[in-house]
Amino acid sequence: MKHKGPILTLAAGLVLAAVLMVLNLRATDASQRNAAGDQQPDAPAATATAQPGQAEPTNAPPTKAPPTAAAAAPVTYAGRVKGGAATIAIVVKEAKAVAYLCDGNRTEAWLQGTARNGELILTGSGNARLTGSVAKGVAAGSVTASGRRFTFSVKVVKPPSGLYRATNQALDAVGGWVVFENDNGQVEQVGVMNIEGDPQPADPLDLNNSTTTVDGTTITAGPVDPSAGL
Amino acid sequence: MSYEFGTDPATLAPQPPAAPVAAPPSGGAAKLLVPLAIGGAVAVALGVYGRLHEPTNIAVNIAGFSGPLAAKAWLTTGAATFAVVQLVSALVMYGKVPGIAAPSWIGALHRWSGRIAFLLAVPVAIHCLYAVGFQIYEPRVLVHSLLGCFFFGAFTVKMLSLSRKGLPGWVLPVVGGLVFTGLVGLWVTSSLWFFTTFGIKF
Repeated sequence: MKHKGPILTLAAGLVLAAVLMVLNLRATDASQRNAAGDQQPDAPAATATAQPGQAEPTNAPPTKAPPTAAAAAPVTYAGRVKGGAATIAIVVKEAKAVAYLCDGNRTEAWLQGTARNGELILTGSGNARLTGSVAKGVAAGSVTASGRRFTFSVKVVKPPSGLYRATNQALDAVGGWVVFENDNGQVEQVGVMNIEGDPQPADPLDLNNSTTTVDGTTITAGPVDPSAGL
Repeated sequence: MSYEFGTDPATLAPQPPAAPVAAPPSGGAAKLLVPLAIGGAVAVALGVYGRLHEPTNIAVNIAGFSGPLAAKAWLTTGAATFAVVQLVSALVMYGKVPGIAAPSWIGALHRWSGRIAFLLAVPVAIHCLYAVGFQIYEPRVLVHSLLGCFFFGAFTVKMLSLSRKGLPGWVLPVVGGLVFTGLVGLWVTSSLWFFTTFGIKF
C-alpha cells in the first residue's frame, strides 16, 4: 500500500473509465442498430436523419409493412386540436407512430406507439396517452397530456409542414415544432423547447435550413422517423 | 499530502511546515520529469480524443436524475466537496492551521477523500468526452474543456509524484494545489453554471 496506493488510485480510475466507455459503446451500438431499422422499439435512438414526410396526401396510411421493399416514406398528419388550444403532429411509418402535442407555451408531450390496421395507440412520459385512427388522409382521436384531454382531427401534410425535433445534449434541450398549413393557407408553426425538463416557448424554426436557436446557440432540427424512435 | 508517500503520519505531521519531506538538494526536481511527461500526455490525449471523437449525444446515464446534466452537476459538486476536505486536511497535515495538531487519521482522511473525489469525477469526464466532446463554442465551455484536460493531467502528476522518492518538498503542495484549483474551476464552469441557470434540481 505504501508506494502503490496512488498507482492503485489511478488504476481504479482507469478501470472505471474503461467500464463506462464499454457501456457507452454498447449503448451507442444499440441505438445505431435501432436507427438502421432494427425492430427494437425500446432501445434509445440517435437523432433521426431521414427526410421529412414526403407522402402524397392521397396515400392511405400504410397498414402493412412491406417485407422487402425499400422503407415506406413516413406520413405526417398535423394541425390544431379541436378548440385550437394546442397543435398536434403524428408521423406514421409502417406500423410505428410518433406524435407530438404542444401549445407553443408550456404544454407538450412526445408520444410513441403503434399504428396497426389504422389504429393509433401511443404513450408518452407523464401518463401521456393518444388513441385514435387514421384513414383517408385524416388522423382523428384524443390525446391526454399534462392532465388535459384534447380531441383532434387533422389532415395529412406535405413538407415543409410536418413534425420537427431538435435535440442538444450539451444544453440538455429537446424542442418540437408542429408545422402545418392553417385555414388561411399559411404555413404556421407552433413549438415548445424543453430545456432540462422545463418546457418553454421555442424560438422559431427557420424552415429553409431547419435551424433554430437555444440560448443563443444555433441548433439543427430534423424530421422524426418513427422507425428510429425518439 | 506527504502521507501517500508512505511516511508514518504520526511522525511526519508535527514537522515544521518548511520541510515536510526531506529532499536532496539537487536533482530532486528532475525526478518530476517523468510524472510531468505522463500527466501532460494524459491531458493532451483527453483533449485530442474530445476534439476528434464525434460526439454521440448519447451515453449511459445515472438513474435517479432528471438528465445527464443534472447528474453531472451533482457528481461534480460531490467531487468538489471532497476537494475542500482535501485542502483542509492537507493544511492540517502541513501544520498550516494554527492550534490544530494533525491527528493520526488525517493522512487516511486525505487519501480517501481524494480517491472519492477522483472516482466521482471520472464518470463525469467520460460522459463529457463521449457525449459532448471538447467544445469551444463559448468561453465557459472552452475554459471547462481546458480545465477538464488539465485536471486529469495534474491529478496523474500528483499520483505519480506521490510514489517517487526524493522530490523537493514543494512539489506535492504545488501539484495538489493545481489539482484543487482545476477541480474548483471545473465546478464553477459546470455545476455552478447549471444551478444558477436552471435552479438547484436533481
